[in-house]
Amino acid sequence: MNIVILGIVGENAVTLDDGEKIYQKIIPALNAEEKVDIDFTGVKVFASPFFNSAIGRLLKDFSGEILNRYLSFNNLNPIGTEVLKRVIENSKQFYSKPEVQKAVEQTISQRSQDH
Amino acid sequence: MINLSVPTINDQPGDFDVLFSLWQQTQENEIKVRFDFSQCNFLRQNAVAFLGGLANMIESKDGKVEFMWDTMKKEVRKNLAKNGFVYRFSGGTPARKGNSIPYREDKVQDKDGLMNYLRKDWLGRDWVHISELVQEAITGRVWEIYTNAFEHGKSTIGIYSCGQHYPRWRELALTVVDFGVGIPANVRSHLQQSEYSADEAMKWASTPGNTTKPKEDIPGGVGLGLLKDFVEINKGYLEIFSHEGYLNIGHGRETFLKRDLFFKGTLVNIKFKCDNKLYLLTSEQTTEPISF
Repeated sequence: MNIVILGIVGENAVTLDDGEKIYQKIIPALNAEEKVDIDFTGVKVFASPFFNSAIGRLLKDFSGEILNRYLSFNNLNPIGTEVLKRVIENSKQFYSKPEVQKAVEQTISQRSQDH
Repeated sequence: MINLSVPTINDQPGDFDVLFSLWQQTQENEIKVRFDFSQCNFLRQNAVAFLGGLANMIESKDGKVEFMWDTMKKEVRKNLAKNGFVYRFSGGTPARKGNSIPYREDKVQDKDGLMNYLRKDWLGRDWVHISELVQEAITGRVWEIYTNAFEHGKSTIGIYSCGQHYPRWRELALTVVDFGVGIPANVRSHLQQSEYSADEAMKWASTPGNTTKPKEDIPGGVGLGLLKDFVEINKGYLEIFSHEGYLNIGHGRETFLKRDLFFKGTLVNIKFKCDNKLYLLTSEQTTEPISF
């Protein structure tokens, strides 16, 4: 599966809401164990809310190993790369906090009861 | 009707005290305020953004504001006309912006409008000699300021900005102010630590990974770190005022202080050199691939 960021959010990838749109496209593909190529051609401005919402949050549901295997980032400029690396590092620490892990487990358990 | 004198306002600590004192004197509902500029020789961008927000705050509480335009010295009036402040508060003809950077009000987060402002009105002018890539890097970092204001500020009247170019120092400045709950209030509520002092709260909020983000399952706390690093390696200057808390980053130092005067919202003042040669895009440029 190929996700072209420019076509979905334009040349400014900066908001939580835009990140949410990308997250919603990635999740079904990962659940189906499908490879996801994310193409940043033409995207010029990057900020952390976008990456937190689109990518950082994936570490809640998937291991780093899975994400390395299934996700690839193409044509991301050096500025975007720096922001994304910082977001991934921060997300790893965030989801390793015991209180966050507990909250995530509760959410997963609640979801399975609802179904 | 009360008369408040607006003196010359630069961006030294005492100048912010003048602004916060004006805020403190205008807290009553239905207050009628007349701002007198006869003692004013110059207003920097921090004063313009703050006075615009203050006028909106007073009006939002059913008060009335009158700027005494006829008390203004010619140069002050000319500057306020150029940046659109006069047009906003007294109507007439929209200003030709000339060498100034517009005064701006944002009631909601308007991504395209703000991007246009930062990239064209602030960084895209003749006097800014930076590459497109650097312009995009600065825009992304400054966006983090607006994001924090919209996500955490809880300002019911919006966010106010104004920029200015200082040719003598080859500097580009921007002030973003909200009249919301302030960083210390958010931190105390998030940590349930009511005894946290304003400067301790500012220190907590500026620590990487710490966030009072309302959506708790989404990580945060990266934006300020990115902005701080960028300012540091490019010899810029960043200061944040919120309640009595104060953070100052510049000249290789990071300083937290507890100030005397309280201001409930948050004011961010940032300065960059508009000289391409000085810019480094990042302190951590590596060729390592992105990895989880």
